[in-house]
Amino acid sequence: MDRRKALQRTALLSGASILIPSMLSLFQSCKKENRLDWKPVFLKEDEAKTISALVDMILPRTETPGALDVKADMFIDKVFAKTYDTTGQENIRAEITAFNAECKNKLGAIFIDLSEADRTKVLQEAEATSGKFNHGVWGVSVGKQKPIGFYRSMKSMAIWAYFTSEEMGEKVLSYDPNPGNYEPCKPLSEVGNRWSL
Amino acid sequence: MANFNIDAKKDMVYDAIIIGSGISGGWAAKELCEKGLKTLILERGRIVEHLVDYPTMNLDPWDMELRGGLTPKEKEKHYKNIRSGWVGKDTEHFWADDAANPYTETKPFLWLRGHQMGGKSLIWGRQTYRWSDLDFEANAKDGKGVDWPIRYKDIERWYTYVEKFAGISGEALGLPQLPDSHFLPPMKLNCVEKHIKGRIEREFLGRNMIIGRVAHLTQPHNGRGQCQYRNRCQRGCPFGAYFSSNAVTLPPANASGNLTIRPYSIVQSLIYDDTKEKVTGVRIIDSETNEAIEYSSKIVFVNASTLSTTQILMNSKSSRFENGLGNDSGELGHNLMDHTYRVGATGKVEGFDDKYYKGRRPNGIYIPRYVNIDKNSKSDKFLRGFGFQGGGFRGGNPANIESFGGDYKDSILKPGPWEFFLTGFAECLPYHDNQVTLNSHVLDKWGQPTLSIDAEFKANEKALNKQIQEDAVEMLQKAGLKDIVGFDKEHPPGYGVHEMGTARMGQDPKTSVLNGFNQIHTAKNVFVTDGACMTSSSCVNPSLTYMALTARAADHAVSELKKLNI
Repeated sequence: MDRRKALQRTALLSGASILIPSMLSLFQSCKKENRLDWKPVFLKEDEAKTISALVDMILPRTETPGALDVKADMFIDKVFAKTYDTTGQENIRAEITAFNAECKNKLGAIFIDLSEADRTKVLQEAEATSGKFNHGVWGVSVGKQKPIGFYRSMKSMAIWAYFTSEEMGEKVLSYDPNPGNYEPCKPLSEVGNRWSL
Repeated sequence: MANFNIDAKKDMVYDAIIIGSGISGGWAAKELCEKGLKTLILERGRIVEHLVDYPTMNLDPWDMELRGGLTPKEKEKHYKNIRSGWVGKDTEHFWADDAANPYTETKPFLWLRGHQMGGKSLIWGRQTYRWSDLDFEANAKDGKGVDWPIRYKDIERWYTYVEKFAGISGEALGLPQLPDSHFLPPMKLNCVEKHIKGRIEREFLGRNMIIGRVAHLTQPHNGRGQCQYRNRCQRGCPFGAYFSSNAVTLPPANASGNLTIRPYSIVQSLIYDDTKEKVTGVRIIDSETNEAIEYSSKIVFVNASTLSTTQILMNSKSSRFENGLGNDSGELGHNLMDHTYRVGATGKVEGFDDKYYKGRRPNGIYIPRYVNIDKNSKSDKFLRGFGFQGGGFRGGNPANIESFGGDYKDSILKPGPWEFFLTGFAECLPYHDNQVTLNSHVLDKWGQPTLSIDAEFKANEKALNKQIQEDAVEMLQKAGLKDIVGFDKEHPPGYGVHEMGTARMGQDPKTSVLNGFNQIHTAKNVFVTDGACMTSSSCVNPSLTYMALTARAADHAVSELKKLNI
C-alpha cells in the first residue's frame, strides 16, 4: 500500500510540475512539451523525441508508472545503438523518418509537432492498419508472418522495455525470482498483476 | 567440490581416454573412473565448473545491460546458432563459436554445438523418455536401414541404472510404446492442461496426455537440491536440480581420484596401430597454443557429439583405414537423422480467467505416440510415428491488442489470455544419402578439415508432419479451443537438436560401424556412445538412451579389459 501511495504522490508532484508548460502550450498551437531531458546514444534529437512521445502515448503514467518513468525510451535508444547492426540502424532511422513524413503529409506536421488529438488519430490509424505478431512457439514465430510495420514494432519494443525495467519487474508486476514450488492452479486474486519473470 | 585435475602434462598414458564431456562423455567418465580406470577427458572447450562458472544463473532481465539482447559482434559469432531462437545473453557463453568452427550446409542444416566442459548437457531440453521395442524393432520390421543389434531387454536395466542416479521425474502410464522410467514424483499439470487432458483422452481413444518426463529433481536426490521452478536451467542451475555432466556425473568421476580433464583439446584423430590392430591413442591440437600432442590409452570412448564424433573418425586415416577409422562398410557419415520440429497447432482457451499459477515450470505436457503402434492404429500414409510436446500458459501478445493509453496500459499489467499449444516430433528414417563428408576446402581456425552436411527430410517425414498438424488442430478443436492456428515451420534437420546416426550400430560389419556394445567392429577398443551410434531415430527424445548405452558400454569395456579381450 505504501508503494501505491508513494506512486500516487509522485504522479501528483509531476503533474504539478508540468502544469505551467502545458498552459504555455495553449499559446503554441496546442503543442505538447517536447523538451528532451536525456541524451540519446544513437538517435538524433528529433528522432528521440518521436520515440519518447510515442512510448508515452502508448504507455502513459497512470496510478502506475508510465514508459517514460522507467526510461523505456532511453533503453530503446540503447537497443538501437548496441544490438542493431549498421543496416538495422539505417532501417530504423528510415522508418522513423517515413513515420514523420506520413504525419506531415496527412496532418501537416511531424509527430511531435501535432496536437494531442492529431497524435491520437495517428495512433488509432496505425493500430487499425499495422500488422500483428504471429504466435511464437519456443522463441520463434510460427505461420506466415505478415510485415509488422514501424508502429507495432515500436509498441512491442516499448512494452518489452517497460516490463523488463527494474521498477516494473520488481515493484509493480508480481516478482518471484525463486518460487521454490509450482502451484498449478492459483486464484489470480492471490497473485494480482502478471508475473514479471 | 574439489577443483578438477587439469594437469595432463604429468601423464601421457591412461587406461581410458574420453573425447568430450557432454551427456554421454560425462557418463563414460563416471563409470570408467568409478571402476578404477585412470581416465583422461579431452575437452575441446574450457572448464565449466558447477556453480562457479554459471555467471548468469541469478540475473533478472534488468541486471543485463541489454536485458538479454546480443550485440552485432555476438550475433556474428553465433550467426548459425541464433537461427534456433534459443541464444541470448543469458546463455551465449554456452553456445559454440560458429565463426571459428565453420561447417558447410550443402542442404540447409542447423548444427548446434556446445564447446565447453559439460557440452550441451548444460543447455539441453531435459525431456527424458525410454525407447521401446517399437523403436528397436522398427528397422527390421519395415526394412528401412539395418536392424538394431540390441532390443529393449538388453538396455532395460541400464535405463533403470542411469535413472536412479540422474533423477527423472514423471508419471507412470504402463504404455508398451513408452516404457515407464524409475520415477521421482511428477511435476504438475496446471488447470488448463488438466482440462484439455480430460477432453483429449475422452475424445480420442488411445491417446494420453501426461506431464513431461524430465531430468529434473522434484525432491532432493544424491546431495542435489530439488527444482525451484525458476526456469533458468540453460544458464546452469544453482541447485543442481537438472541433469548436466557438470552437476551430476563429473563430480563423482572427479571424486574417484582417477580423472584428468584436459580443456582446450581439439582432437585431430585417433591413432591406429596396424600391427597391434587397435587404437593406441589420440592426437590433439591445443586450441590455445596450437601445440600438437599425443596421448596413449588402452581404450577410447568417442563422445564428441554425433557429427563431431564422426568427423574425428573420418579424419582418423591410416593404411588400414584409408576412408576413416572403422569404415569398412562405407556407412561412416551416412544415415544422418533428426526429429522434425515446430509443427503443430496453437490456440486460445476460454474461461479460467480467474486462475493463474505460481512458479515457472521448466517442463510441459507430452502425448506419447499413438499411430502405427498396433494393427488398429496403422496408417497407410507413412511409416513410424510421432509424439507431441506442448503446454498451457497465460500468454497473448499485448502489442497485438488494438489499443493504447492509460486504460490499455493498466489492463496489460494483468496476465493475458490462456493459450495452449502442441508441437510434434516425428521419427526420421535412416537414409543412406543423408550424409556428412570431410571438407578440406573449408578449414577451421586450427587448419582442420570441416564438415559438409547434406541431409533433408523426405516424403515420409513430410507425410508425418502433415498428420501432426492435422491431428494437433483436431485435438485442439475437440478440446474446445478458439482461434486455432496450425503451423509447420518446415525446419530443415538440425533444429530438433536430436541429430543421430552417421556411425550406426548393427549386427553386420559390412553394413554398420559399431557392434551391439558400441564398439567399432574392426577396432574393438574404441567405443562410440553418443548420438552417432543410433541405428534409427524413434520419435522419442534420445538423450536418456545415450546415457543407458554409455553405462552399458563402459561396463562391457571394463569387463573386456579384465579378460584381456581388448
